[in-house]
Amino acid sequence: MAILKVTDLHARYSAKGPEILKGISFEVEDNDFFAIIGPSGAGKSTLIRCINRLVEPTSGSIIFDNRDVTRLRRKDLRRLRRDIGMIFQEFNLINRMSVMDNVLSGRLGYTSDIRTLFRAFPRSDIEHALELLERVGLSDHVDKRADELSGGQRQRVGIARALMQNPKLMLLDEPTSALDPKISREVMELIKQMAQELKVPCLCNIHDVKLAQEFCNKIIGLQDGVTMFSGATELMDEAKLGEIYAMEVL
Amino acid sequence: MQPISAARFGAGADAILMQRRSKRYVIAGAYAAMLALVIWSIDVTVVKDTDWERIGSLAEVMESVNRFIGIDFELFSNLLVPTIETLMIACLGTFLGLILCIPAAWFGAMNITPYKPVTYPLARLMMTLSRSIHEIVWALFFVSVVGLGPMAGVFAIAVRSVGFIAKMTAEAIEDIDHGPVEAIRAAGGSPFQVVYYAILPQVLPQIVSVVIFEWEINIRRSAVLGLVGAGGLGLVFFRQMNTFNFHGVTTVILAILLIILMGEAVSYFVRRRLI
Amino acid sequence: MANEDTVTLFGESKRRQWRRFKYPQSLYSYGGWLIAFTIVVYSIEYLDVPLDRMLGMFGRMGEVLADRYYPPDIEYIMDLDYFGYVVETIQMAYLGALFGLIITVPIAWFASYNMTPSRRFVYPVARIFSMSCRAVHETIWTILFVSILGYGMLPGVLALTLFSAGFAAKLLSEEIESVDMGPAEAMRATGANLFQVMVFGVWPQVRVAFTGIAIYTWDVAFRAATVVGFFGAGGMGWYLKRNVLQIETERVAAIILSIIVLVIISEAISAWARNAVMKMK
Repeated sequence: MAILKVTDLHARYSAKGPEILKGISFEVEDNDFFAIIGPSGAGKSTLIRCINRLVEPTSGSIIFDNRDVTRLRRKDLRRLRRDIGMIFQEFNLINRMSVMDNVLSGRLGYTSDIRTLFRAFPRSDIEHALELLERVGLSDHVDKRADELSGGQRQRVGIARALMQNPKLMLLDEPTSALDPKISREVMELIKQMAQELKVPCLCNIHDVKLAQEFCNKIIGLQDGVTMFSGATELMDEAKLGEIYAMEVL
Repeated sequence: MQPISAARFGAGADAILMQRRSKRYVIAGAYAAMLALVIWSIDVTVVKDTDWERIGSLAEVMESVNRFIGIDFELFSNLLVPTIETLMIACLGTFLGLILCIPAAWFGAMNITPYKPVTYPLARLMMTLSRSIHEIVWALFFVSVVGLGPMAGVFAIAVRSVGFIAKMTAEAIEDIDHGPVEAIRAAGGSPFQVVYYAILPQVLPQIVSVVIFEWEINIRRSAVLGLVGAGGLGLVFFRQMNTFNFHGVTTVILAILLIILMGEAVSYFVRRRLI
Repeated sequence: MANEDTVTLFGESKRRQWRRFKYPQSLYSYGGWLIAFTIVVYSIEYLDVPLDRMLGMFGRMGEVLADRYYPPDIEYIMDLDYFGYVVETIQMAYLGALFGLIITVPIAWFASYNMTPSRRFVYPVARIFSMSCRAVHETIWTILFVSILGYGMLPGVLALTLFSAGFAAKLLSEEIESVDMGPAEAMRATGANLFQVMVFGVWPQVRVAFTGIAIYTWDVAFRAATVVGFFGAGGMGWYLKRNVLQIETERVAAIILSIIVLVIISEAISAWARNAVMKMK
């Protein structure tokens, strides 16, 4: 069964502004590693942010885990968001906090405001965080400040933070764009490995087509808010790629 | 082709020269106006309004300056308590100001203000009011509300500090990196958690340095609030002045200088440790 | 519990330890907080601030405002006499800022560590002078000058002069210290003396900043000028004092209102002028 089903999604930032997404539909199944590709400005980021409503879609439906995302009220929306982990292009860590606090911030959706005030996270959360940090290879950096780490290490913190949520779906917003090619591959491998182990489907927004073809089993190609291609990775060929990126070449 | 373009070039150069010349006239005019203003002001304030006969000769002025040179050692024991009081007024005033600044900064930062058409102008109004009224005037007002004593001083200092602290904080909040905010929201954080986890850590260094800066100024302010009945060293100063104990006046001023130096040293130390 | 499952998700059995409390650092920071907290509590105790009546105080404040200060007696400030005092205040601020800026230039030069003629003598003297100008509140300067020179606007102008000098000298010397030393060194290499270096190497770099500082100084001096009259120098402050002593609270409210309006206007002008200067650069 599909964990995420998006039907005819439209989005625009302001009432008079241009339409960014013009009717997108797709389904993410369990164990999928789903890539969204397309030239910059095609609406990839907007699409991924509509899934957890960091951007409000104007019409269409998003069904996640049997919940209609577009209809959720504030409290239920937060409950939904904690089921969806998110990894960002610019890492979006809190620079002045320690690695540990950054990872623990993934649990905020489960933590009361009073506990947040004193940063008193339950023991189980701390143990979980330590375990994840060991998995992403940052055991030696637990008490360092986030801004002391290198780019690759920071993204690993981002991965640990997203996994802290025990997500049912992971949204990856260009997770490797800010990293150099070698580190990019390592990070993608780590994400894929962890996702398979924890059986979390991923929806990945990616600029680098080579990486997409290597790591993802399904691809949706966007151009200017319209679906140009949708299907298994194997069905993707040079001609279709050329079509998607036609605008960019010009 | 050639001559036409040359002519055009000549015309262009002329226009530029003309422009320059007229600009120079404007600048010269501005300077002349300024000079006239200075002369007029000097005439009104210094020449006409001063009681030159009372001042008398330069020697007499030097004599009245001379009265202030000297230290009244007997005053020392009476200075300790007011000095501590002054420091405490400054500390408490800054602290209370910091608390009052929380709503002001929250409402006054464009990106997090709860309801822009109402709360944003409200906060801006609060900041302007606080900064445009002099601390002496604030102290007068609070003395009439809570009566004579250090309480009025604390309130005056607090209200006077809010504007600056809140303005700087609001600007810092407007400048934050939006990434962490997005990350905390995506993890299902509540609005409080967003503020506490994503915004506060980013603006904390600025807040700390602004508060220390303001605290230093507040020491200076709290030292004079006694002049209008709000406790501290100002009161002692006032008494020495009224009893014509000019050496005492100098002593009080030295005490003020001393605590301000101390404040500067503390702020230097704290700033270096925290930032 | 779901959490229990996730802890052993990777089949680990090793117990991991982590504490928020780190031995020396946390102790220091907690100690710092404790000291700050103690100071606040002890000050509240010492100054006898009634915390329990604090909230009621705000109600009382509103009451006092409504009873005594409302409505402000606008008519009272709408006459020509008062307008004359406003103009005087502006003139006082103008002159004070101007004289202050004139003495600021040499003081800021002497008090900048990179350009001072002598680091051992002139530098500390200039620093101490600018610091004491700043440290002593403008009202104290006013009282001192009034006691020496008698009532009138001259003591007000002098007090504002020292106040502006202290204020502007600090900003300007910081500006000089952050100047690019390249041109200055190049000039020194050609055999220019310190004064020439200052005029041709440093001044052009800080000129725009100085204009900004000058405008800002005027703005701040005006704010101070509104109260120096309270202690015997002329201007609006004198009006204010007379009405405070006579407990004409509604007139006081009107005067304060006029001060607020004037300050807002001067702030707007100064912001506009500083922007214009920045653009002209």
